[in-house]
Amino acid sequence: MDEVGVSARGVDRAFGPTQALRGLDLTVPYGQVTGLVGANGAGKTTLLLILATLLAPDAGHVRVAGIDPATDPLGVRARMGWMPDVFGLYDQLTVREYLDFTARAYRLTPKVAQQRIDETLVAGRLEDLAGQPVHTLSRGQKQRLALGRALLHGPRVLLLDEPAAGLDPRSRVDLRDTLRALAESGVAVVVSSHILGELEEIADRVAFISGGRCTGEYDVAELSAATQRPWRIRALHPEPLVRALGDLGYTDISSGDAGIEVPPLSEEAAADLLTALVGAGVRVVAFQPVGSGLETAYLALTEEHAA
Amino acid sequence: MSWYGVRLVVAHEFRVRLRTGRWQWLFAAWAALVGCVAFSAYLAYQPSTDCANCADRVGPGMFGLLMFFVLTLVLLISPALTAQSINGDRERGTLALLQVTTLSATDIALGKLFAGWLVGLAALGVTLPAVAWTVVEGVGALRAVTVVLVVGLLIGVVCAVSLGLSAALARGTTSTMMSYLTVFALLVGTPLVFALSVVMISGRDGASREDLVWGTLAPNPFVIIADAAPQPVVRRGSDDDMLHQLSTSVRELRRPPGARDFDRRVIDPPVWPYGLGFDLLLGAGGLALARHRLRTPARTVPSGVRVA
Repeated sequence: MDEVGVSARGVDRAFGPTQALRGLDLTVPYGQVTGLVGANGAGKTTLLLILATLLAPDAGHVRVAGIDPATDPLGVRARMGWMPDVFGLYDQLTVREYLDFTARAYRLTPKVAQQRIDETLVAGRLEDLAGQPVHTLSRGQKQRLALGRALLHGPRVLLLDEPAAGLDPRSRVDLRDTLRALAESGVAVVVSSHILGELEEIADRVAFISGGRCTGEYDVAELSAATQRPWRIRALHPEPLVRALGDLGYTDISSGDAGIEVPPLSEEAAADLLTALVGAGVRVVAFQPVGSGLETAYLALTEEHAA
Repeated sequence: MSWYGVRLVVAHEFRVRLRTGRWQWLFAAWAALVGCVAFSAYLAYQPSTDCANCADRVGPGMFGLLMFFVLTLVLLISPALTAQSINGDRERGTLALLQVTTLSATDIALGKLFAGWLVGLAALGVTLPAVAWTVVEGVGALRAVTVVLVVGLLIGVVCAVSLGLSAALARGTTSTMMSYLTVFALLVGTPLVFALSVVMISGRDGASREDLVWGTLAPNPFVIIADAAPQPVVRRGSDDDMLHQLSTSVRELRRPPGARDFDRRVIDPPVWPYGLGFDLLLGAGGLALARHRLRTPARTVPSGVRVA
């Protein structure tokens, strides 16, 4: 019946005098990665705690995997995986013991549990570490274990709070691939992050959270396309490029070692410029946007709100 | 609540905690200490050669001394067993991960209580050989079993109160301190309150009305174990039985002023049901508080407590 992984309508939540969420609306479809973007204290973690059945909202309606956490938290927990920004691992247990305990806590049958644990160890490249105490693991390994724990019971909705924080490049790429694969398999993935370049690669959609509200939900590709960014152009010979740009009316250009930068353009305008340059006989070897589109869009949108 | 969940939490607590400490050595030291106390008591209560009927003094004397010592020490150990088991998990970020599984608040609260309590009972179990020795020396077996059981219950009470405090207070140091204060209040606070109330209510005529305030003494663990123990047959030499002495004195407090020295054979009603009842309620309150604080989705979160 409910076709979306997560829906939140008019969610309020206060901690004493602090109003963390005020009338937040959010929709997270299955089969996509939705990024939550916002400053520290914007309400992302509070929202995730509500979705994870740990906090009750003061007002509003929440559905996770089609179930209301207020009336059936156990139903939600069976279908939802959550990874907080702290790993919360037991240092004294071995990797396998930890996963085994989690499987029991989710009441997986021994046979299913064994199979899921083995799969998790393989997926997280932790097979060789299965007998090691958790405290001997590196940060990246702990993160993979924590993600494996969140996925052990095969959730339909996955909630991740700042999963990429403090990870080395290799682990980040792993994380991205894992999350993309989960989304492909139909899981609704929610990722909060403030590393926007990172999120741009992972997320299909983003929701901007500010002051306890969702100020907009966007398709990442569309947002990047619509956002005006500076573009960097490199040609085999710089002189014809500069001349051609001048002829096209681009005077406010800066040149550096990496190439020539032109002022912010939308993707549409950038494509027109490239066509014109090629038409003018400039031998372009590189033509790329500068900076993260998501970041630029986020900064532009928050400036609008601040204004 | 489910036994599956409670058992899982108990087993998990044991695995996580036992790997950190050097329990074997602590238990060995404890056993040695209890043995020393029992032996000293044995020597101390040896009858002098001119008292022919005094051989049966040894057991009750040893037993009283031993049980007061054991009670004091296990009650001092007990807060440490659960006073950080909830806020400590919160600080390590492991509690919320437990709460998002199918384990209920009751499973977690009871599991943590039983895990702590079982360690306390194990410490009590280590003293059983010494208790058995006092039985050999003439203490009634029923008496010994009753006192040991009541001590076991009191360990549970302290564990439950400490657990409630660890759920309600954000910081582990605060909850540990409050737990020790609770034990201190029970052991030392109750006689102090009793003494103060006697002074406060005694009239200008100097009449002492302990019969109105004996209840303030009832929750004291020493009073409870002394009074809950089935009374030995009164006989010569029972003066050395500390449990019996304490029980008799406390029960006498309940007599109204004129009746006090009236009749030695009056059977005073027991005090321990009130004291043990009060302490068990205290423990139940601690457990209920822990359960309440662990319930999710949480409506209220005390300031300073992090959810995850």
